[in-house]
Amino acid sequence: MKSVKLTVNGIERHFIADEDRVLLDLLREDLSLTGAKQSCDRKGQCGACMVIVNGKAVLSCLTKVSSLDGAQVITIEGLGTPDNPHLIQEAFVLAGAVQCGFCTPGMIMASKALLDTNPDPGKEEIKRALRRNLCRCTGYKKIIEAVQLAGRFLRGEITPDAARPSLKEGIMGISHPRPSGLAKACGTAHFTADIRINGALELAVLRSSVPHARIGRIDSSKAESMPGVVGVVKASDITGTNILKYLRADRPVLCGDKVRYIGDPIVAVAAETKAQAEAALTFIEVDLTPLPVLDSPEASLAEDAPQLHDEFPNICLDQPQIKGDAQAALQESAAVVEARFQTQINHQAPLEPEATAAYWEGDPAADEDAKLVIIGRSINIHYHLGMLQEALGWDNMSYREAYSGGQFGIKLDIISEGIAGAAAIHFKRPVRYIPGLTESMLMTSKRHAYKMDVKLGADAQGRITAYRNDILVDKGAYYSIGHVLIMRSLLMLSGSYHIPNVDARARLVYTNNPWGSAARGAGPPQVNFALECAVEMLADKLGMDPLEFRLQNSLKPGQSKSTGRVVTEWPLPELLEAIRPHYGRAVEEAKNYRNGPVRRGVGLATGSFGIGGPGDVSVAAVELDPDGGVSVFAAAADPGEGNDSMLLQLTAEFMGLPFEKVRVHTRDTDYTAASGPAAGSRITYMIGSALLDALSQLQSAMNETGAKNSDALAVAGKPSRYLGRKRNEDAGPLDPKTGQGPSFESQVHAVQMAEVEVNTESGEVKILKMTAAVDAGTVINPQNLTAQLEGGLDMGVGYALREQYIAGKTKDWISFKFPTINHSFDVETIIRETPRPKGPMGATGVGEMCMVPTAPAVINAIKNATGIWICDLPATPDKIKARAAALQQEK
Amino acid sequence: MNKDSKPGETNPGLQARCIAGREIVFDGEGFFNDFFDWSEEAFEILAKESGIDCITEQHRRVVRFLREYYAYHGRSPLNHQLRNGTGLSALEMQQLFPEGIKLGARRLAGLPNPKTCS
Repeated sequence: MKSVKLTVNGIERHFIADEDRVLLDLLREDLSLTGAKQSCDRKGQCGACMVIVNGKAVLSCLTKVSSLDGAQVITIEGLGTPDNPHLIQEAFVLAGAVQCGFCTPGMIMASKALLDTNPDPGKEEIKRALRRNLCRCTGYKKIIEAVQLAGRFLRGEITPDAARPSLKEGIMGISHPRPSGLAKACGTAHFTADIRINGALELAVLRSSVPHARIGRIDSSKAESMPGVVGVVKASDITGTNILKYLRADRPVLCGDKVRYIGDPIVAVAAETKAQAEAALTFIEVDLTPLPVLDSPEASLAEDAPQLHDEFPNICLDQPQIKGDAQAALQESAAVVEARFQTQINHQAPLEPEATAAYWEGDPAADEDAKLVIIGRSINIHYHLGMLQEALGWDNMSYREAYSGGQFGIKLDIISEGIAGAAAIHFKRPVRYIPGLTESMLMTSKRHAYKMDVKLGADAQGRITAYRNDILVDKGAYYSIGHVLIMRSLLMLSGSYHIPNVDARARLVYTNNPWGSAARGAGPPQVNFALECAVEMLADKLGMDPLEFRLQNSLKPGQSKSTGRVVTEWPLPELLEAIRPHYGRAVEEAKNYRNGPVRRGVGLATGSFGIGGPGDVSVAAVELDPDGGVSVFAAAADPGEGNDSMLLQLTAEFMGLPFEKVRVHTRDTDYTAASGPAAGSRITYMIGSALLDALSQLQSAMNETGAKNSDALAVAGKPSRYLGRKRNEDAGPLDPKTGQGPSFESQVHAVQMAEVEVNTESGEVKILKMTAAVDAGTVINPQNLTAQLEGGLDMGVGYALREQYIAGKTKDWISFKFPTINHSFDVETIIRETPRPKGPMGATGVGEMCMVPTAPAVINAIKNATGIWICDLPATPDKIKARAAALQQEK
Repeated sequence: MNKDSKPGETNPGLQARCIAGREIVFDGEGFFNDFFDWSEEAFEILAKESGIDCITEQHRRVVRFLREYYAYHGRSPLNHQLRNGTGLSALEMQQLFPEGIKLGARRLAGLPNPKTCS
């Protein structure tokens, strides 16, 4: 122990600290300064914990308290508050650099340390200063712009008031700062791990280290006698079904008989501190009898393969899609290309690790109606509440969404909430389950791996004639969104194109690999990768320009997708025309780098992504307030996209209200309408439309009565609250034999162009620039739109070149190859606005489409630069180097 | 769409059924996909299918409460709210709806499950 005096945010403090205690823990646990975040298991990999010590930005997770005697420490809380923010905090909000907000405090502290010594830094200086700070949402572009804007503020060249859009400029189409921005920038937005609960037990969970085994004896007696340990929870202690059923009842809260993937949970230990719980974990003895490991869909489909789940066959779904006669059309085609494409299992990689807090309202020991409150990161709070009620056998529960540090689909299914809730019920005490990054990566869902055997044909004039795709999807151990993934893949199989003949088959197969679920795009990024690369191959074979080939084959109104559904609008050709001059410029520039080991290439890819799935319905409630303002009640999770902006701006525009009179409630099952998940890019289209329906009803009542507030409406005998609904016209599944049937009500379209530099000797690929032309309908908030695009491009490039989750090996942000600011690249966006007739004020969604064309654009650019096709993602240096060498030998 | 199948039998996704001459979409668990597709007539047919031979005023009281609650809040009530709102105990509710509160009362009252994804 050591006595340490230091000053934190201007207040002198005195601590007696362990030699090993780090500043991050002291700030968060002893001083409740939770603006500094923990993401990387205290390895110094993420920068979310960054603070300023003696004028320098430091990683507080690596800084020993014992080394800080006499130090001056400034945390994000020491800069400003939402009511009185620091200029850098304002700059981050006004530049649109705050999305989920988890990385923001660390980014701002690193920026402050830079600007304190260099008030006018260049781009490279900013990148150097922020090199230790990770962000998953923004692609770093707006963060660099925020630092530049902060510099201008600090130098007195412009004021925040001058930079802030005025209501006089209008509401729609204006980048009004998102409502949650300043709370995130000032560190006052509480994420789940920031929430302290008096007397809460802390959990640690024993997880399987093998992919498939039968559970025998579990001896927890030694662990239960350890200091601070209150007890353990096993499957047999759970009084509900112990099954977390999203779409199929196959995933246990805690495993009772078998484990089915590396990471499956077996026993939870509850103790007074997390360290005590983790220490006790090592004393639990579990007998695991190994079972045959099904490590691929092919292994699971083998005749002698054991059945992974007693109740379900290994093949979850086998769905064909047949349109026309693809076999005959391929035989008659002038050119046919054929290839196998593979995509990897990947982690969605939100910067915030998984976390749940649970507490009781009332005394569960005395009152069977005491309420269990779950706080977590769900993007579907009402559905998850129902899952938890059944799994845990407790009805009176509510779910509250804390601020979420990104999610990208990972929280469409329940992860840590089941175990936390089970422990809270078992011990009748509040609990916190805050796993570290490595455990979080083990337990969460993943992006599915696809294998796709493709044939694509065209006639002599370059018209696509037919498409075959035999798709094999690795489901992993549990079903989760299962058939939805397959349906989405087939609903968008033909991408942007008119393909008159289609013969596809999609099989979804259980394995002992990590369980897959939603991941930005969920299916279409994989199938679009195969299609767009095949399109490039076919254009190449026909000797046609890739842009002209895509333009010629674009679907047109009146033609049908692979589902047989005829489309009424398809503004893709306009996007291809919009990108044409950029493409011409890029091709010309690349011509100068065609020889030698370092070569440049240009690649195109399109994406036409469905929004508003068949049968989707959403609801939202609105209420006129006594002061004439409007409250919105809709479970529209916002893990960073800016859904709070969308609800605010639509309501203010429709009702003619100032922003301060719009109150948006989205986070609590006790107060919100069950609006459905923040998934499938549906929030703006579905919930935004339901909101406008509710507002329309309210406005009719106000117009009819002349009432301006809720009291006046009551006097006139009218309700002040209205439930709005959005229901898509098409409903129902695809035909099980033909895959023909209903489709999405709207589409968002994009063309992306990658400019790359490939070193054929090292295999390294450098992204020089990504250009994205997008038509997402009427734009509500341009900054939020471009923020999604830039972040999606960054994620798509990572998917194309680096990222992969390998069970047992991918344990942190380094082994995941998380994109840093040094990986960031120039981005240009071209926005077109074709109003969508059925979208809210003409808008549609955009969040997932951002990365749908990215991987094929990058792979096509690598081919353009080198002649090498990389058909199995990611395109790592090793693969490129090996294939470049092979190509050289062939020559 | 497969109109002859009972909901949830052949496909885990949405299913359309023709009830009293009207096509209604149900989810994989047999819940109405859209709250506004419900009708008294559909309720009576579905109730009979679920083993309720005689619809009483108590059944209607439960259904009325559930529908009014959803129409106001946009979500289903918790069980204790349902008990308080109807004055019926859990046991009485179970006797009224043999399939339970969720699969019986809530489903027959046309309250949709929260949406999963599409």
